[in-house]
Amino acid sequence: MSEPVLHVKNLRKVYRSRRGETVAVEGVSFSVNRNEVVGLLGPNGAGKTTIIKSICTILRPTSGEIWVDGADAMKNPRAALEKVTAVLEGNRNVYWRLTVRDNLEFFAGLQGQSLRSVKTYIDELIELFDLKEKVNEQARALSRGMQQKLAVACALVKRTPILLLDEPTLGLDVETSYELRWILKRMAEQGQRTILLSSHDMNVVQDICERVIIINHGKIVVDDQIENLRKLFTASAYRFEMEGHLTQHQERKLKEQFDLIRINTDGSRTVIEAELLDSQRVYEIIDVLRENGCQLESVGKQYPDLEEIFLRIVKGEKQ
Amino acid sequence: MRYLYLLRAMMKKNFLIIWRYPFNLTAGIISIMMIFLVIFYGAKFIGGSTPNFGNTLESIVMGFMLWTFIIFAFSDLTWDFINEAQQGTLEQLYMSPLGFGWVSFSYILSFLVINLILTLGLFMLMMALTGKWLHLDFFSLIPLMLLTVWGVYGFGFAMGGLALVFKQVQAVFQIFQFVWVALVIAASALETFPWAKFLPVTWGVHLIGRVLIGGQSLSAMPIADVVFLVLISAVYFLMGYVIFKRLERVARDRGLLGHY
Repeated sequence: MSEPVLHVKNLRKVYRSRRGETVAVEGVSFSVNRNEVVGLLGPNGAGKTTIIKSICTILRPTSGEIWVDGADAMKNPRAALEKVTAVLEGNRNVYWRLTVRDNLEFFAGLQGQSLRSVKTYIDELIELFDLKEKVNEQARALSRGMQQKLAVACALVKRTPILLLDEPTLGLDVETSYELRWILKRMAEQGQRTILLSSHDMNVVQDICERVIIINHGKIVVDDQIENLRKLFTASAYRFEMEGHLTQHQERKLKEQFDLIRINTDGSRTVIEAELLDSQRVYEIIDVLRENGCQLESVGKQYPDLEEIFLRIVKGEKQ
Repeated sequence: MRYLYLLRAMMKKNFLIIWRYPFNLTAGIISIMMIFLVIFYGAKFIGGSTPNFGNTLESIVMGFMLWTFIIFAFSDLTWDFINEAQQGTLEQLYMSPLGFGWVSFSYILSFLVINLILTLGLFMLMMALTGKWLHLDFFSLIPLMLLTVWGVYGFGFAMGGLALVFKQVQAVFQIFQFVWVALVIAASALETFPWAKFLPVTWGVHLIGRVLIGGQSLSAMPIADVVFLVLISAVYFLMGYVIFKRLERVARDRGLLGHY
């Protein structure tokens, strides 16, 4: 087990304005181990960006502690910035009038690195991100996807052990998103960086991350390995498929007896999805269906993907 | 050494960006020269027959050159903070482990070099076009220009801080362009209003006038005069920097660094 390199303890951020106070993050605590790749998921306004900006010291939290590889990010941000950097969502993060190589050299310099010491690494990054043909082109002439790849490369050139990525694939076409995902996945597999990644794209998180932290209304609602979550939800999620429709009485009865149930009618078929913490309750559903002589076609476990798990958690369907 | 690497990177970046906006640079130089020529020949036409008007024309050349230098310095920080925030790179600059203080110092230094080259180039052009050649003692002129403009950067920082928090500061910025004109003119009235030497840039402009028009060298100046310039510039610089740090704190609290 590798040691934790990022600690966030009781992080709280309140935005104050004339209209009043908005609590963006409330009592958030988590740790990330060295070379671990963790996904930060949450709906819009959940507090993901606030957490990321607080860790990279560009936002002052109201209270709490942030430790970055032994450095107190709130008391000594410069020491923390030796260890962490970020690619922020919605920003260009690079200079449009500089070429690909100029940008990489500038961001290495911004970190206090000599050109000589990073020259080989810059060439490696250009190769890795497939920017070789565009190396002397200004960033403004690159496609959106290329610009985003350049932004990630500019973050990597700083050679910090921890990398924060806020929505790295947002707005990218499928091909570039896949390409960027492949690069991040490769980095994760090679254990080169500790990565905290926020994304709306569940495929990205599912593909790259081992662990996921789900945030809703500024609080952590789940912090677990993706595999564990999948097992947990698979164990309790059941799907019933039947020919014909339920009567109103049956539907009402099911909804009364089971909190976490969804009934979908599609043409002449009905699909019932239910969360059952006690597997014996499967028979109770079958009993209700039997009342009207419904023809049950199949009963089985449901295998939810991360998106379904996320939606259930965020909607408060999972206790 | 790491600080020097950052300084070098910043200088290269700023030189390249200016170089890659050639139209902007050329248009800026042409418009400055046009305004100067209108003012110079307008003044010459109006006051041409007045005795000793030659000195006034020399003052116009010097005053316009210094106003240009001051405006460049003042606008650099303000506009560049706004530009960096708009293009989403300001937050990246804040993520330098060498500190934003050093990042902004590198910023200032790189633009100072660029501005000095541009202003002195324009100055030579102004003198060539008007035939009014002043005493060009660069060893006295450049240190005094740098000491004078040091205080202006304090105002640039303060305006940059205001831009971080309030965003739309263009109106204040435009007012300041006229304030600088008034202050440059006020330097010629220090004998009548001695208290005016406590205003920003007036004392520096006065000393530069002694070099360019009076032909005095820096080494011949009383040390107290130079020390006063250092102190007055330091005070305005520090005041501006303190205001900037306060406003930067507000921007960090409210998460405004990346917004524009």
